[in-house]
Amino acid sequence: MGTPLRARLTRALLTEPLRARADALAAARPEGYDSFGGHARGTELGLALTRPLYEAWFRVESRGVEHVPAEGPAIIACNHSGTLPFDAFMLHTDLARRTDPPRTPRTVMDRFVPRLPFFGTLVARAGGIAGTRRNCEHVLEEGQLLVVFPEGTAGIGKPFRDRYRLTDWRVGHVELALRYRAPVVPTALVGAEEQMPTLTKLERFHPFGAPYLPIPATPFPLPVRYHIRYGAPMALHEAYDGDPRDPEVLADAAARVKERVQALLDEGLRERRGIFR
Amino acid sequence: MSRYLITGATTAIGEAVIRALLAQEGTASILAVGVEAVRPTSVEIDGRVRYVRLDLTRERNLRHLMFGPVREHATEVVIDMASHRGVGASGPRARALNVLATRSLLALSEEHPTIRRFVYRGFGEVYAIDSSLPSRIDEAQPLDLSPGAPQWVRDRVEADLTVCTRFGMSPLSIAVVRAAECLAPRAGSQLHDYLSSDVCYRPLGYDPVINLVSIEDLGRALALAAGASAQGIFNIPGATTLPLSEIIRRSGRRQIPVPGPLMTPLYALRRAARGTDFDYAINRGRLHHGAVLDGARARTILGYAPEMPVPFPID
Repeated sequence: MGTPLRARLTRALLTEPLRARADALAAARPEGYDSFGGHARGTELGLALTRPLYEAWFRVESRGVEHVPAEGPAIIACNHSGTLPFDAFMLHTDLARRTDPPRTPRTVMDRFVPRLPFFGTLVARAGGIAGTRRNCEHVLEEGQLLVVFPEGTAGIGKPFRDRYRLTDWRVGHVELALRYRAPVVPTALVGAEEQMPTLTKLERFHPFGAPYLPIPATPFPLPVRYHIRYGAPMALHEAYDGDPRDPEVLADAAARVKERVQALLDEGLRERRGIFR
Repeated sequence: MSRYLITGATTAIGEAVIRALLAQEGTASILAVGVEAVRPTSVEIDGRVRYVRLDLTRERNLRHLMFGPVREHATEVVIDMASHRGVGASGPRARALNVLATRSLLALSEEHPTIRRFVYRGFGEVYAIDSSLPSRIDEAQPLDLSPGAPQWVRDRVEADLTVCTRFGMSPLSIAVVRAAECLAPRAGSQLHDYLSSDVCYRPLGYDPVINLVSIEDLGRALALAAGASAQGIFNIPGATTLPLSEIIRRSGRRQIPVPGPLMTPLYALRRAARGTDFDYAINRGRLHHGAVLDGARARTILGYAPEMPVPFPID
């Protein structure tokens, strides 16, 4: 992917262990471009571009990555916040850097993101997929690691006063989990809520199809520290043996996932010593 | 032993279908229909192939063909691949071939005494492409029925749906083969025409992946569909999936990214000045959003899997 010069620059931005990691991720996936526009070298480029944010700005600390299944379909369900989706980048990066064996996460992005020039292409190359149901199904059918944010854009744009309180929790991820017998790894990300509070939302503006135009209180994200907590995987398909489309089953299963994520959030908040530490 | 009628036989894809059919066991004869006055040696490569020159837009010609040579040959399978070869062809003449000839051929096949199967060569371009739709296109993907769609798309959607509406009502078994873009010359390929210019403009900030099927794979897929009995729609992806920038590079062309709003006037200007046919309006969706045909159904039912990557640079 890209020119040799770009490839050399990308490699230069990575440390030796990260280069080895990128090679391991590349070895674990089919050659060439996949149908979502992803490419192993795109993942490498993503690792290179997010490195300053991951290591220096947000100083990401994560625990429990061993809970991420080593193989087969699995769903990472995480809270979402922060006005702009730096939390999604950092979670994606953390999974790409720390899963053992290496797994390329397929992070669901809102449907307007692929419409963004440059950014949409970059995210797709690194492993992002547009958030359509069929795309998620394809990822799980191929036994890949799906990363979802069941709060959606409602979560990322929630008022500062509601920080660390999970908003509406969608049920699509548990339906997929039941259908594909995929374990759900409840995941909490602490820190993003304070990075960039939303000043206001311009609901009448829909740039590139976005639901609104956010106006953050700060021009760039504050250097808060991110803490990621991966919980023990939930085998929902073992707990529910009914029709995976039954609304009551889905509501109940989604509530269980939400409860676990909230518990992990509360635990992370108790443990952190300050928003910048 | 099977006997086939192939329309659009003198295109590169038509020739590939003939080769694939001849390579299959049990092919007794092929009636190859084209518009060329000269008997093409590339088509009559075997004693089992007979070339018939015919203008399919004249219904009387079609009737003579179907109840003349086709009945004499006891043809059992029709492979309809005829569409206007001009990339920018529009107007009643193009529609007559793209849509009306298919409709007539299907209707005549249904009342024919020997024909039992109808295979329509469709196009992946009939699908709507947008970031709100799946990136991997299965047969249930919405079609591009937007009122502003250019005739190139409208014709293909109309012909495709004309055939699809006969599923389950026709005495024939019907297959619609919706294929990925095939970079064949004189086969109505928009991308082939796009890549034929020395400089290719592409939308700044977008580099979608595009799936391409080789002529050989498409020929084989159509031959497999002709030999099968299964009904329905079959997506036919190719073995080459590349970003647009890489396709341009491998084609040996220069690329200039330009802001999206400039693409329409630039290509309109180029059409006017250079007489080329590439129409940006037809391709806007896939030059912005990557989408690839899902060939799961064709793999399971027809036994088709792409094998041959597209050779670059193209002719």
